Amino acid sequence: MPEPEKASAAETGLRPEDKGARDELFSLVYEELRRLASFVRKNEVNATINSTALVHEAWMKLQGSPHLAATSPTHFKGIATKAMRQILVDEARRRGARKRGGAGEVSFVPVSDSIQETACWPEELLELDLALEELERFNPRQAQVVESRFFGGMDVSEIAALLGVSESSVERDWRAARAWLASKISPEAE
Amino acid sequence: MDSARWDRIAAIFNDAAERPEPDRQAFLDVACLDDAELMAAVRNLLKSDSAGAPLLDRGLPEIAYRMVGTPAETLPFQEVGPYRLVRILGEGGMGVVGLAEREDTGRLVAIKFLLHAGMTPARRERFAREIKTLAKLNHPYIARLYDAGALADGTPWFVMEYVDGERFTDYCRKQERPVAEQLRLFRSVCEAVRYAHGQAVIHRDLKPSNILVKRDGTPRLLDFGIARELNDPNNAEDGSSSVRFYSEGYAAPEWKRDGSVGAYTDVYSLGVILYEMLTGRRPSGHPPEKPSALARGALSRRDWRDLDALCLKALDHDIAQRYGSVEALIRDIDHYLDEKPLEARPGGVQYKFGKFVRRNRRAVLLACLVCTLVVGLVVFFTVRLARARNAALAEAARTKRVERFMLSLFKGGGDAAPSNELRAAALIDRGVNEAASLDSDPETQADLYETLGSMYEVLGNYAKADDLLRAGLDKTKAALGPDDPKVAEGLSELAVLRGDQGRYKEAELLARKALDVASRHSPPNSLPVLAAKAALARLLVQSGSYEEAAALVGPIVRLQPTTEEGMYILKDSLTADGVANYHLGRYQAAESLDRRALELDHRLFGKKHPQTGTDLMNLGTVKTTLGEYPEAESLYRKALGIIESWYGPDQPDTAVSLSILAHTLALEGKNTEAQTFAARALKIQEHTYGPVHMYVAYTLGTLGKLAAKRGDLATAKKDLTRSIEIDRTLFGEGSQLTAASMVDLAEVYMKEGQDARAEQMLREAVRALVADFPEGDAHIGFAELSWGRSLLREKRYAEAEKQLSAGYKILAKQAHPPADRMLEARHDLAAVYEALKEPEKAAQLRDSK
Repeated sequence: MPEPEKASAAETGLRPEDKGARDELFSLVYEELRRLASFVRKNEVNATINSTALVHEAWMKLQGSPHLAATSPTHFKGIATKAMRQILVDEARRRGARKRGGAGEVSFVPVSDSIQETACWPEELLELDLALEELERFNPRQAQVVESRFFGGMDVSEIAALLGVSESSVERDWRAARAWLASKISPEAE
Repeated sequence: MDSARWDRIAAIFNDAAERPEPDRQAFLDVACLDDAELMAAVRNLLKSDSAGAPLLDRGLPEIAYRMVGTPAETLPFQEVGPYRLVRILGEGGMGVVGLAEREDTGRLVAIKFLLHAGMTPARRERFAREIKTLAKLNHPYIARLYDAGALADGTPWFVMEYVDGERFTDYCRKQERPVAEQLRLFRSVCEAVRYAHGQAVIHRDLKPSNILVKRDGTPRLLDFGIARELNDPNNAEDGSSSVRFYSEGYAAPEWKRDGSVGAYTDVYSLGVILYEMLTGRRPSGHPPEKPSALARGALSRRDWRDLDALCLKALDHDIAQRYGSVEALIRDIDHYLDEKPLEARPGGVQYKFGKFVRRNRRAVLLACLVCTLVVGLVVFFTVRLARARNAALAEAARTKRVERFMLSLFKGGGDAAPSNELRAAALIDRGVNEAASLDSDPETQADLYETLGSMYEVLGNYAKADDLLRAGLDKTKAALGPDDPKVAEGLSELAVLRGDQGRYKEAELLARKALDVASRHSPPNSLPVLAAKAALARLLVQSGSYEEAAALVGPIVRLQPTTEEGMYILKDSLTADGVANYHLGRYQAAESLDRRALELDHRLFGKKHPQTGTDLMNLGTVKTTLGEYPEAESLYRKALGIIESWYGPDQPDTAVSLSILAHTLALEGKNTEAQTFAARALKIQEHTYGPVHMYVAYTLGTLGKLAAKRGDLATAKKDLTRSIEIDRTLFGEGSQLTAASMVDLAEVYMKEGQDARAEQMLREAVRALVADFPEGDAHIGFAELSWGRSLLREKRYAEAEKQLSAGYKILAKQAHPPADRMLEARHDLAAVYEALKEPEKAAQLRDSK
């Protein structure tokens, strides 16, 4: 496993001496993720969530962070998306580890089916993360589209602006990458 | 996979996928020609495409929900220490808050957790900062911190007062409460904020949902999650480089704009809350509409004119025009309620204040900086620098002074100059350098608790000190195992606190345990063992086991320390040995030990350090006992000067100096001054320690003695009786501490003619003194003389003769026998001899000088 500290510094594009900034960014991103999650939780019953609006609001807030306000909006989105990805993947890794080992550890007590369902999520997410790394090697742009859409919650037009390509290219990239990734994550579907 | 190959597969896939299902195969046949592998790859993708990608198709909110959105209801624990989680109350950016019940007492509390604490250090630090801030705040309108800790998995938590109440604005809106009543409630909120500012804490997130009103109509301020401590080193910057959290409608414009923070930040938020209270909505636009234009309340035009001015002044976007402090806002609320002219109206004091701050910005900043560095220093020192901790703790108390200085600036005083405060700079540099060489370590939390605990101890807040020291000790044990020398250190600290709390038995047990733990892995003359011995000796001295204390440190004071830490241990040992020898009646030995301690402290701390003050006091005590009152007085005055200027006038340490000086002044007959000092001391001590404490008893004893001297027998009896009762509660029957006041009280009884009662009391006192003091000690002599007099008055001449001559002999042997008491004694003895029909003896006594 890569040494997490270094990996994240490299991934987020923040210099190692910006450790404080990195910390702040991660805290902030984490809290926004928690907030998004809490909307889902509260709305579970009627299940209609305006996901785009929520994510958009999160972005607005993140952008208010003075560390990042100085960077260009696109660069900023790139950095924050990396942070979101890392937080989510780290958490998946942590849960996976807990599920496997962890004698004497406190374990979660599922209280409802919806939570039971989460049991398989960590592994899937880790597989996705690995597959995405592979995709990065032979088609970085598609990987970035997936990252922006899946981990950054961006919509097609935002991604197009971010990458400087047409929306239809983004749509095509997404569809191909999605199909490939899906086949990697659930090989039994072959 | 090869990039080019993949691009080709992807392109064909996309083209195929855009076609309707039935046309696809024909397209593929052409596009892939004879490349079967390519065909298979594309078909595979098409299959996946139509099968769907359940994970990939989720929106980010749902992913977040699955991964980090653990519903609070399924927290992986139901029990936290002695608390049982009842239900979840809510969730904020900084954690989950639950309602919990303390199992042993059934008390309901609020408990806050930081989930995913491991995410980033910044989150943990912010949470720790909230705990630290809450721990500092002790105000009836601020929800109180009770306890803090971390679960086995590292999830930090803290427990605070549970407030079952309504949101501020909801409460105000109910039942059309009169505006004056609402204003008074609002004023209480301001009081709490003003108090926090006095502790150098800015709330930064004041809003109605953070202010609950309890059923009894009192408000509680909650959620210091983003509060800023003006003297927190982590917040030393202007705020522009840290993340800004705020609540849109309530945050001050300059805070949102460039992160600038000060008392004015909270003033603005209070302004919004006031506006909302008066009008039912938040202000919009700048300047916002006058509240009177929107409000419903029935008030006179004049009333509205004042409220409009007041409210808009709090909301001014220009800091210089806004109320400069909550204090000023409160003043204007009071003016309004008292129907006096407001400062908010043009030409008021506040305008001058703004000018003052502008003119003195550098000075204000400097003062903040000094605070920051001093507190920073204390925190740095915690990290492993246990011996330097003493110095740092004294610095902590000193920050109180700096704080007051700052406040005096904010109040517009400005007579004090910050340059005096820079003396701390040298110390700070040393602390920063030492700290820089330390790696961060997992015991930091334990250290932080212990230091905060010790700070509280220094500041006289023992309850909080207790909680924090215990938490620190538990954590050290968990991190390092039960036998680590740091555990011994923690035990010793807790022991010293118990001693200060007057719980001597527990203190002694803890100190012995510390010595035991230290001895397990360290050789007898190693520093941990010697340090534990010195700490135990200190407690033994407090609890009166002087022989054992002297035996314990006697060998240490003969050692020549080679390290700085060794010097600190030597110093503690010298002090303990000096006091022990004093109580054993070996006054010369005590004096020489005290002088050595004084010299060493001069070297270690400098001449103006409270340690030096303590040594001077010890030396003064020896001098008082030897009857050298003027020398004692001068030593005490020096000590008081040092201690008061270090800690400030209202601190417990200052009170001790005052009290001891008052006692000697009383002995010298300087009664007026003695009375003033003792009264001041008592006020501080009762406030700090509550009604039952050794020091309170001691000061009451002096006050009682003074009252008796001026003939106010009722007060004398009241004070002395209380003093005796306190000492009895603390030390049991027959302690020498009760004896001193008993002698004085008996004297009062004699003045009232209650001779039998006096005699009985004196008999008891002498018994206690004989048990506690060595033969021939002056204390016994004085008590025997009093007892003899009571027997004389009871006409029990033979017994009287025995006590009087015994007492007289003792006093005659003293280096400086007090002339007045000697004369009285001779007079009493002569009367006894006359009654016993031995007139020659009587005449002889009357003639001698």
